[in-house]
Amino acid sequence: MDFDWTEEDRAFRARVRDFLARELPSDWAALSRHGPGSKEQTEFSLEFCPKLAEAGLLVPHWPSEWGGAGRPPWEHFILGEEMWAAGAPRGAQYMNVNWIGPTLMRFGPDEQKRRYIPQMAAGKAIWCQGFSEPNAGSDLASLRTRAERDGDDYVVNGQKIWTSYAGLAEHCFLLARVGGSDKGKSGIAIFLVPMATPGIEVRSIPSLIGHGDIHETFLTDVRVPASARLGQEGEAWSIINYSLANERVGIPRYELASRVLDGMVKELSKRGRFSDPVTRLRAGSASAACEAARILVHRTVDKRSRGEALGAEASIARVAVAEADHAVTDFGLDYMPDAFSGDGDLAVQTHHERAIVTGIAAGATEIQLGMIAQRWLDLPREVH
Amino acid sequence: MRFQPNEDQATFLSVLDQMAEGDAAAWKTSPEWARFEWSETFDGMLEANGFLDCAGEETLGLTMAVAMTHRVARLPVLAECAASAVLRPLVGPELPRPIAVVDGDPRDAIRFLPVARSVVHIGEGGVRRAVLNPNAVSPVDSLFAYPMGRLAAGALEWQAANADPETVRNAWRAALAAELGGALKGGLDAVVAHVKERRQFGRPLGSFQAIQHRLAGAATRIEAAHWLALKAAQSLDPVDAATALGYVQDAATRIVNDLHQFMGAMGLTLEHPLHRWTYRARLLRSAMGGAAGNLEDLAERRWRAA
Repeated sequence: MDFDWTEEDRAFRARVRDFLARELPSDWAALSRHGPGSKEQTEFSLEFCPKLAEAGLLVPHWPSEWGGAGRPPWEHFILGEEMWAAGAPRGAQYMNVNWIGPTLMRFGPDEQKRRYIPQMAAGKAIWCQGFSEPNAGSDLASLRTRAERDGDDYVVNGQKIWTSYAGLAEHCFLLARVGGSDKGKSGIAIFLVPMATPGIEVRSIPSLIGHGDIHETFLTDVRVPASARLGQEGEAWSIINYSLANERVGIPRYELASRVLDGMVKELSKRGRFSDPVTRLRAGSASAACEAARILVHRTVDKRSRGEALGAEASIARVAVAEADHAVTDFGLDYMPDAFSGDGDLAVQTHHERAIVTGIAAGATEIQLGMIAQRWLDLPREVH
Repeated sequence: MRFQPNEDQATFLSVLDQMAEGDAAAWKTSPEWARFEWSETFDGMLEANGFLDCAGEETLGLTMAVAMTHRVARLPVLAECAASAVLRPLVGPELPRPIAVVDGDPRDAIRFLPVARSVVHIGEGGVRRAVLNPNAVSPVDSLFAYPMGRLAAGALEWQAANADPETVRNAWRAALAAELGGALKGGLDAVVAHVKERRQFGRPLGSFQAIQHRLAGAATRIEAAHWLALKAAQSLDPVDAATALGYVQDAATRIVNDLHQFMGAMGLTLEHPLHRWTYRARLLRSAMGGAAGNLEDLAERRWRAA
């Protein structure tokens, strides 16, 4: 066992930090407040990600055949920590890096790979994720958007919601029901759909988590060629289970939370308000929550780096990550409430805006707790 | 970073597991309905088989001493592991064991004292140690699930330990974090087994979401506590050590209350071992300053320069 970083890992992290220090503009803190899906940050990502790619820091863990360098999963993960803590300068493109690209590499036919992967590796592709629907959130398998076969095409009708980044995305990784089944995991297929296809209408949903992040997407007689299907009909569930296994552990939110906590303590100390034992105890508690999340997430990365499938460890990590994010937010709300108004503290505000989604997006905490109960503690499923 | 044990560590943990699953460490109700069962047999097995000396082995180290402390604390029987495996290599490898540790007020009742042959005192002024004599200890009855005793003032010949007090404190915090985490894990395992079996309203208690989610929350904190203790054992860093102990002490209150809640009336009896874990946890949560002291100390260390 060894819980320390290797020299190589440290050097890689230092390289990423150098790059960020060099390439992020002086007004980045204000720019990143707009949110990863905003027009401002999306435009920025289309300048920033190509530079990352050129420096070999966009997809280092991808195979060289697809623009990567075959670097170990730990480097991919360190990148994720640093990018999130820096305010997500990759915008929506983190999804390409983490799972859309790798999913195409594994399951896509050559034509799809050649068409989409090089753009992703170059840092020039914006995708959105068409999963959730008004009646299919945590219970994703109950989705109703339907793709009917019509000759060489499919005709898609339905509605998606919470579609991250849909407003500016060029393509959608879309889940739709095929064949005769109305429910269940077996009747779903994946379609790679250009967002410019006639019949797609996107409405931005005003939200607490940044502008342009979540949307409603309406699909009315959207005609896509059969060649846009990824995998076979009915294979979607197993494909996304595989590809989201890497994502299941979620964003390394504790890294930003921990740095924001550092900033809060620094500010409180400057104002002479960090000598009270209760304030210190609460800061210590938030710090411990961040470290708990960190070590549980690192355990999942370690497991992944050995090529092992992730089980309920990922859910355990996610629950701890949500607790850490909330502990830091609560500390700020209790001891420096003024940071949340005006230009009080942009980092605190950015963190708070992003932390409110922790525990809700990409698998709610209650879903994670259920998985821990059933897959880690082996408790019987709830009887209905 | 590698969370997997190396080959020697894996063998060590696997043999330890076999011993821990054997008869010597199994739950038996004691005829006197004692609140603890000091297992001289299991304690002796750990010593005789060299387990308690693992910290000195290059491929095992202090991390394994702390991992062993966690594993032993999961058992319904008691052995003295933390001080012997984690502290003894630092403060005096020749000290006779079992070892009791004074890490708070020396006038308080101290765990393991009635069965100990030596004592280590981690105090403000430094670390000292003494070999016990029969006049130095008076056993006391206690609600806690350890053999408890008081030290007679002036009855011992203390010797200063030739060890860095900071290192000793950090190692001891890692050991306590593991012991508390292990006790909570032992209790959790027992309660999980119970709620799988016990049926009410025609279904197992463990199928109710209200129970599942709270146990899953407990499992999450117990997992984090385990790894934080191992990390602190490796680094002996003061922030890591205070984090590990403060975190698990903070979590302990809610976990212990939930474990008893889900065990129901059975957990109030001495016929079920749950109290053996939870009444250890109830003592360990206050060790070395308790959650408040450790979390505040964490803050002091982490942001000293802020």
